[in-house]
Amino acid sequence: MQNEILFATLALIAIVSSIVMISAHRPIDSALSFIVTLISIAALFALVNASFLFVVQIIIYAGAILSLILFIIMFLNIKDENLPDEKHKNRWLLATSLIIAPFSAILIDLILRSDIAVNGVSDAKFGTIKDVGLTLFSKWVLPFELVSILLLVALVGAVTLSKRSE
Amino acid sequence: MRDNLLLTILLLSPLSSAALIFLINIFQKRDCFVVPPHNDEMGHCEQFVVPLRNDEVDHCEQSEAIQSVGTPRAFPRYRSRHMWKQPIYTFLALTGSGISAVLALYVGYYSYFEKEVFSSHLFTWLSIGNFTIEVALRADALSSFMLLFVAPVSFLIHIYATGYMDKDKSYGRFFAYFNIFVFFMLLLVLADNPIIMFIGWEGVGLVSYALIGFYFKDIQNTYAGNKAFIVNRVGDFGFLSALMLLFLSIPSGGFSFSNIFLSLIQIEPFSLSLIAFLLFVGAMGKSAQIPLFVWLPDAMAGPTPVSALIHAATMVTAGVYMVARFAPLYNMTPNIALLIAYVGALSALFAALIATKQYDIKKILAYSTMSQLGFMFMALGVGAYSSALFHMFTHAFFKALLFMAAGAIIVAFHHKQDIRELRGIKFPKVFKMMAIASLTIVAIPPFSAFFSKDAIMGALYASGHVEIFAIAFVTSLLTAFYMSRMMFVLFFSKSEQSADESPKSMVYPMLLLTIFSIFAGFFNIPEVFGGAMNFSHWLNLADKSFIIPHAKELVLMSINTLFIALVMYNTYKKYAYTNEIIMEENYGIVTKKFYIDEIYNKIIVASLHKLSHFFEKKISNFLIDEKINLTALAYLKFGKIISIAENGNVRFYALYMLIGVMSGFVYLYWFLRSAV
Amino acid sequence: MLKAYMILSILLFSIGIVGLISRRNIIVIYMSIELLLNAVNLSLIAISADLADSSAQVMSLIIIAIAASEAALFMSLFVVLFRNRASLDANLFDMLGNSNER
Repeated sequence: MQNEILFATLALIAIVSSIVMISAHRPIDSALSFIVTLISIAALFALVNASFLFVVQIIIYAGAILSLILFIIMFLNIKDENLPDEKHKNRWLLATSLIIAPFSAILIDLILRSDIAVNGVSDAKFGTIKDVGLTLFSKWVLPFELVSILLLVALVGAVTLSKRSE
Repeated sequence: MRDNLLLTILLLSPLSSAALIFLINIFQKRDCFVVPPHNDEMGHCEQFVVPLRNDEVDHCEQSEAIQSVGTPRAFPRYRSRHMWKQPIYTFLALTGSGISAVLALYVGYYSYFEKEVFSSHLFTWLSIGNFTIEVALRADALSSFMLLFVAPVSFLIHIYATGYMDKDKSYGRFFAYFNIFVFFMLLLVLADNPIIMFIGWEGVGLVSYALIGFYFKDIQNTYAGNKAFIVNRVGDFGFLSALMLLFLSIPSGGFSFSNIFLSLIQIEPFSLSLIAFLLFVGAMGKSAQIPLFVWLPDAMAGPTPVSALIHAATMVTAGVYMVARFAPLYNMTPNIALLIAYVGALSALFAALIATKQYDIKKILAYSTMSQLGFMFMALGVGAYSSALFHMFTHAFFKALLFMAAGAIIVAFHHKQDIRELRGIKFPKVFKMMAIASLTIVAIPPFSAFFSKDAIMGALYASGHVEIFAIAFVTSLLTAFYMSRMMFVLFFSKSEQSADESPKSMVYPMLLLTIFSIFAGFFNIPEVFGGAMNFSHWLNLADKSFIIPHAKELVLMSINTLFIALVMYNTYKKYAYTNEIIMEENYGIVTKKFYIDEIYNKIIVASLHKLSHFFEKKISNFLIDEKINLTALAYLKFGKIISIAENGNVRFYALYMLIGVMSGFVYLYWFLRSAV
Repeated sequence: MLKAYMILSILLFSIGIVGLISRRNIIVIYMSIELLLNAVNLSLIAISADLADSSAQVMSLIIIAIAASEAALFMSLFVVLFRNRASLDANLFDMLGNSNER
């Protein structure tokens, strides 16, 4: 019961803050509300005992990526006149929501009517660094290495892109 | 088997030699022509472009120009770098036409003496139900008779042309065309059904077009070729329509001449007349009769051997041959036959009148050809088919001879053709032969045309059509006038020009033709002179018989000859050793050829041009192009409207994608819901 | 519990798509993309917990790594674009269309 209340609260926070994120005019507001979303998602991770992912989510997303975004926003010194003039923002949001609504409705309908919950037994080890690490370095070694290459490429690409062309 | 082989070789030897010549000719490179030695400025070949000789002039090599030694002839002649090929061309051309000439003589001999009919069935071309069109050759008396002069005269003119075209750049091309012409002419003559005959008919027209525009560097020659081709199309339209009508009218069986004649009775009279008339339209075009004669004078733009062979001796007589071939048809349609006689008479008179005021030596001969063809058609019209064919036979010899003599003069005297410029030439050998030919054409006894023309005159007189006879009589007097005018102006004058003798290859064929034009008449000596009318019996055509008392015929002949002699004497007094020809009035309706060309231009060409212009502007441009453009424009506008969606903004593309995925998703869900 | 997680994941994903399409600010667009990834992560983690299998956690770990590299690239892109156009308007970058006619 406690878990359910916790989940409902966190879910509400996540949804509201993400709606604020997509509808805020200034990017700094979006970024701040997005931090809230991410943290609540992290908390949701913790709720299902995925403790390692909870940590990773907090450190990488809320800590690294979002602070990078904030840093960039401030670095670029974006003023209001630099922002796009989104006169029809609310109309757009409404129209897109209407388009997406059937999708969500159908999916939710399908999930509610389906019988997907397996409820496997989760032991104490589940979600610990050891557990995840063992899986990562036994079954997922190749994707792990590929991701490292991807990160390297992204690094080089970021440097090349932002280099001022002479 | 023997017939098959004989006729096939006869037909195919010119074709194969033409093909071989073409094959060799393909590899001919651009050539240079000789620059006259007095010229200091080398390397500028464009200065010496003579419209008479076409050549590639751009790539002359200087060294060649310097080393060149001019021929004694004053006009620049072309020297081919591929001179070594000329003997090969000559050999091939003469072999091709020579073989067919020999075989033609063989066929003629057996047909004449043994009354043999050669026939060869090659293959079946079309078989529609019980209607078949065979590719079959058949040399009956009429075809053999045609062969008898077509192939040998072709051969002789081939020999003549080796001299005339000597050192011409396009030597090979010329003989290739010439041999193809012989092939098509033989096909026309030997055809066993009108379809094959039509192939030959079109083929000779095509070759005629190619040879009229032979020196195509001069655009006028090309225009003359076009004119001949287009006017002939009008005639071919007639021929083709007649064939289609025949095709429709003849119930079944083959389409060979004998089958057609057998089923003629079943055709109703009106369509029979129509067929006869349309066939004659075809003959009109090919044989240059009023009103489709305008191409013949212009056709003289071709080299003279072409004029001699195609536009005098053989191709233009195809119309006469065709009418004679369809003699049974014309015997059943007397009205059309009479029309033919009248058209022939008018053409003869008309052409003779124009010829009296012409100054171009080849044009005079062209009009005289037309006039003689008119004589033949008169004879055909009244039903004297063998007389017409006999005249065609003699005409082939003397007219070819006249043209060859004219060609010899033209070559020797620096390509001058105007008789006023050529006054008083000294050219003894050619003069003798040309004089004989002229005497022949004006029908002085005992030269061949005397007999043939007299046969026609007798038939005309006996047929009872006095007006036609009168026209023929006047025309023969006019013939005497213009021919002797030409001869006297050319050879009897105080001013004297002389030139080198013609080469032997030109003289010997002329000599042979001279002999023929003198003696060809003896093949068909009329009964008055104790002859047996051998040709008429041999040909065995559906002649109407004309009984005319011998005394009357003799009187007719003597009156005719007397008048002709009188006319010639007067002409001699008028033109020989006088300057009359220069003083002559150079205007008037006759000089302007009765303004026929102008009238045709005004009425037919201009109206056609207007019509085409109308079609171009109103129908093509406005009605079709405009509407198509409108459609295209509509698509363009529509595309512009659609392309607003494609604004290059990825956000929008994502939106479209989303909409698409959404609709697919919803549809799938709805579908699965209803299905499960 | 799993169903609730999935529904939440779907809702967050839909919100992310709405933001991705309807906003013109490229920073917000970027964050919407991140939101999509997070929504997927959420469902992955829920499934992993339900099945007691940590493979899905590894998968979401890799997704986070990819998101990090994506973030690096996006940041440099922001810098370049803002430097060139002095604007964050996504509508300015429409060179996919026929820019000659505008």
